Amino acid sequence: MFKSNNVAARIFERQIRTPAPGTSVHCARQFYENLVPSFTIYDVECPDHSFRKFTDDGQYLISFSRNHQDLIVYRPTWLSYSCKEEDCNGHEPPAKAKRFESFFHQLYCVSLAASNEFICKDFFLYMESNQFGIFATSTAQIQDAPLMGGAIPGVPSIEKITFHLLRLDDGVILDEMVFHNDYVILAYNMGVFLYDDLLAVVSLRYQTIHILQIRDSGNFVNVRAIGAFCQEDDELFLNSSSQFAGNHVDPVENYQSNSDSSFLSGIKQRLLSFIFRVTWSEESDKMQRVQNLKKKFYFHFQDYVDLMISKVQFLDRHHLLIKFGGVVDGGLSRTADHHPSFFAVYNMETTEIVAFYQNAADDLYHLFEQYCDHLHATSRNSLHMNFVSSHSNNIHAQDQLKCMKNKASNTSQFVKKMLSSLPFSCQSQSPSPYFDQSLFRFDEKLISAGDRHRQLTDHPIKFISRRRHILKFKIKSGPEFGSTDGRSKKISSFLFHPFLPLALSIQQTLFLQPPVVNIHFRR
Amino acid sequence: MGSMLGNWPSFDPHNFSQLRPSNPSNPSKLAPATYRPTHSRTIPPPDQVITTETKNILIRNFYHHTEEKMRPKRAASENLIPEHGSKQPRPSPSH
Repeated sequence: MFKSNNVAARIFERQIRTPAPGTSVHCARQFYENLVPSFTIYDVECPDHSFRKFTDDGQYLISFSRNHQDLIVYRPTWLSYSCKEEDCNGHEPPAKAKRFESFFHQLYCVSLAASNEFICKDFFLYMESNQFGIFATSTAQIQDAPLMGGAIPGVPSIEKITFHLLRLDDGVILDEMVFHNDYVILAYNMGVFLYDDLLAVVSLRYQTIHILQIRDSGNFVNVRAIGAFCQEDDELFLNSSSQFAGNHVDPVENYQSNSDSSFLSGIKQRLLSFIFRVTWSEESDKMQRVQNLKKKFYFHFQDYVDLMISKVQFLDRHHLLIKFGGVVDGGLSRTADHHPSFFAVYNMETTEIVAFYQNAADDLYHLFEQYCDHLHATSRNSLHMNFVSSHSNNIHAQDQLKCMKNKASNTSQFVKKMLSSLPFSCQSQSPSPYFDQSLFRFDEKLISAGDRHRQLTDHPIKFISRRRHILKFKIKSGPEFGSTDGRSKKISSFLFHPFLPLALSIQQTLFLQPPVVNIHFRR
Repeated sequence: MGSMLGNWPSFDPHNFSQLRPSNPSNPSKLAPATYRPTHSRTIPPPDQVITTETKNILIRNFYHHTEEKMRPKRAASENLIPEHGSKQPRPSPSH
């Protein structure tokens, strides 16, 4: 902690004093209290693209064309102009400087989608180590597509989903991975998870988790597919057994079309046997054991069999956290009270289920409270993501959580609500130090590190310094003097640069009018 | 052994008998080694290798929860037997 609040005094102090061990990043971050994006350029004239986000290393700004076919990548720079007057600080920047191009330099524009495809503008994953970007294009959704090859009913189908791997440096498309007649939730990266170089893709339609590896050379490599089979050679083993001998049709189709008469899927078998063993171990008396099994396992057997994989995240390179829901409704499993959802921890190497919890489990909530950072599963390569404020690493966020818990009238409902955010989506939080709860206090309902859209408010959003309780800067989205049209619904989104005092606030109406973009920066 | 302190009474005459070079770059200058453990309880086993646990604390907790649930519980009937163990056999009435 610095003794003074003056930035020059802090710099001198930094020269002579070493920060306490392990706090060098926190000490460096305190300078963000002095350098804040307090100046706003309202309604900048900018190209009509939908801006997605800054990459986590701050090198690129990703945006998509309005027709969802092209990708445009910008390099964030800074404006430069010279002022020959006497008192330069009092002057506004010249009108020539107040342009979008002063801050962003277009690198390239690449067409990703063919004529009948659209880029999912809410999907983007970044591999920082190689500066690779992953984008997704898809054709239109088809409800009630014919069920083939093990597809489960109730899930829509998309004829072609393509994941594109691009080198962001120059926009070269390195590889593509295509899924046909499948369904993956692409919005806000919910159906995928990137951890280091491993990408998990949840195919809801076929109830399979595909694990892909992204090589340094820029290729997608299939590692395994968890669902019907768990080990890589399960399929070979089953096909070579006598039950399937003599059938020369496509082995996968043959197996899966027989699925209701022969075996349950591999992952379901692991799950059921785990639940059986846990229920078996609960009682030691033989009679009570059987009664317990009847009550807790066999009575709910069909419910367990009907569970659907809905979302997945990595916990480390070998372990997955899988959410199972009762009903897959349009791809999004709703956790209604009569459809409880479950969480399972699965070890990919040993193919064992390690743990299994219901969505209102207190012990899982306890782990969520204490080790939320580990649940965010930041990869080893991006150290700055370890400093995103959460209730496990920040006392102010922890206080907020405790307040909410004490205010909740029903603890079981509160636990369910908190655990419904699991498994976390990857790369959904901004690493900007302005969202650090130890530095600034702000209204979480209006703005936060998450990347979801918010309801537009005409009032500026205040960032108040934690240490000194004074207003440091304000972010006002929308036009400078408030909007005249109060009826149409407006949503706003905020893009903060990871380390520069630069932010974009974008206000959109829902009628495809061009958005209003403001640039907030430190003058 | 001719100690530098002469023949003064000492707790253990071997305490300052081991000599080690005080400066690794100058091995000829010897000084008595002043640390002598009084017991050997804390010496690590000779084949001990220290490595980092690969599983992070969250995953260790998951495994721990499951181990707790899977641990066989004591049967209710076993709890009636006292835990003392060392019981004298009763002399049979026929003796």
